[in-house]
Amino acid sequence: MQVAIKNIVPLPLKDRFAQRHSDIWNKEVSFHSSQWIKIKAPSGTGKTTFIHTLYKLRHDYSGDILWNEKNLRNINDDVLADMRQYKVSIIFQDLKLFPHLTAKENIELNRVLQQPFYEAGMIDTMAERLGITEVLNQQAGLCSYGEQQRIAIIRALIQPFEWLLMDEPFSHLDADNTGKAAALIAEECTKRNAGFILTDLDEDEHFNYSHKFLL
Amino acid sequence: MLNSLLKKLVRKASGRTKFIMAIIGLSVALLLILSAVQLQINYNDLLHSKTNQDSLTNFLVINKRLNNDNANKATLSNEEIAQLKQQPFIDDIGILSPSRFKASIQTVSDRFPFYSDMAFESVPSAFIDVTSTEWKWDEQSSYVPIIAPNMFLDFYNFEFSFSQNMPQLTQDVVKLITLKVNIYTPRGIISMPGRIVGFSDRISSLLVPQEFMDWGNNNFALNKHAQPSRIIIRTKDPGNPDLVKYLQQTGLTTDADKTRFSKYRQVVTIVVNAGWITGAVMLIFALLIFTLFIQLTIASCKEEIQLLITLGASPKQLKRFLIKQFFPSNIIIAIVVLLLLALLQYQLAGFLTKQNIFVNTMLSAYTIMVAAIILLVLWIVNYRTIKKYIALNKE
Repeated sequence: MQVAIKNIVPLPLKDRFAQRHSDIWNKEVSFHSSQWIKIKAPSGTGKTTFIHTLYKLRHDYSGDILWNEKNLRNINDDVLADMRQYKVSIIFQDLKLFPHLTAKENIELNRVLQQPFYEAGMIDTMAERLGITEVLNQQAGLCSYGEQQRIAIIRALIQPFEWLLMDEPFSHLDADNTGKAAALIAEECTKRNAGFILTDLDEDEHFNYSHKFLL
Repeated sequence: MLNSLLKKLVRKASGRTKFIMAIIGLSVALLLILSAVQLQINYNDLLHSKTNQDSLTNFLVINKRLNNDNANKATLSNEEIAQLKQQPFIDDIGILSPSRFKASIQTVSDRFPFYSDMAFESVPSAFIDVTSTEWKWDEQSSYVPIIAPNMFLDFYNFEFSFSQNMPQLTQDVVKLITLKVNIYTPRGIISMPGRIVGFSDRISSLLVPQEFMDWGNNNFALNKHAQPSRIIIRTKDPGNPDLVKYLQQTGLTTDADKTRFSKYRQVVTIVVNAGWITGAVMLIFALLIFTLFIQLTIASCKEEIQLLITLGASPKQLKRFLIKQFFPSNIIIAIVVLLLLALLQYQLAGFLTKQNIFVNTMLSAYTIMVAAIILLVLWIVNYRTIKKYIALNKE
């Protein structure tokens, strides 16, 4: 599945962005299947806005985003739901877990929202690799940010996808845990032959990126 | 699995007390409205069903109110009869033909001597409450069948027999007695055998088959063309106030005892109508409560719904899930209310049977149909509310 961006500019930031150089805003860019894209985005450049716009959480932009030639604006609720279930997975910067469900239930929910991609046992396997086995049965709201971030990563990886959107996915993790999480993400993307778009503040070498952009 | 997780998310949000209140409101409303339906049906059953068609409720003998002005000419004109026929509360009219020849009956046995001058009446068979295979006559018949009013036999058994020192007679014994019917003609007396074949509660005169009456009147009548003076009507509802009013206005009269039922009837009507109205109002309020409950539930898990949709839950999935959360309770309420009503109906039927009033022991199909229609309305209300509030809360 190809993602094409055509001259998009978020309306609230229009004036601010007009002055700045960007590889993404107000440009025509295409991301091809299975590409691993890194977008470096210093603070205040609209990193989260970009991810949310790609995921159709925001509509306040000019220009067009085409997922597989289809304009994101014209996609209805059911098609969008299908896309989010089978094609596009996401790791939010603010994690967005259900605080009253346990860590495991949070992941399980995203596993069974569609035809499951993995058996339920995969949750334990991934949790063990990221070192959060102990908190699986704890309410997500009571977990530390670092634990919540790893829960969110596993939740994103438990579903089928062709593209994985990541918004500062390692912001609460130390170098050791970041390495483990990045390895798991790389493995899962490779397994699915999927691409990803990762936004972060700084340069990094967590992945073998196909392309790097500056927001 | 998905449903149990969703349930966990939604249950946090909705208050249990509010749910129970909504359920109770709906149950009471449904019970009221369905019992009103069932009562109305029972009532209609009582008025119209064959088993309950006794002479007191359905047939009225009507004649002119006799006063000094119309004495000797208190007959009903054709126009008056035609007008009666047009009244909506009158289903059928039968003309009572009186015999216009002089007659007497007597017993043939010496053991039981009895003689009396007598007049007969006849009426179309549909108006007679006695079914007898012997109720037919032609000129070749060996005897004249007669239906006597029960009142006569009671009068004989409980008054006359004592004063004359005669034996009391059961209906069956009377039916065995052979009578002699005498008709006085200008050319002499014609006698023929007669037998009582039944007893009527409905018409208080000696009835003979219409064929016999026509034959007698044609051959021996003193006055060939006479207007009828009494008619019998069949009505669904002798208690109908319109009927009573109409009779009064046109100077007609009937057995007041039979129309007195109208007062009870009016009370029952008011009670049934009150049940309808209360039930309908309750239903509207209950629907409102239930709708509000659904709205509240959805509004209070607004964040969860938003996040679920963000993660890829489709509005369809959520709608289906929420309908499953709310609607089964409605079905259960309807079933419980119907079962309760069925039980009440069974008890009522048992109780009324002891009083010789027959209503169906089972719930009416109409009641079940109304329940189904209300369920459909509930489903539509549930679905629309859920659809609307998911659309409102998804972003």
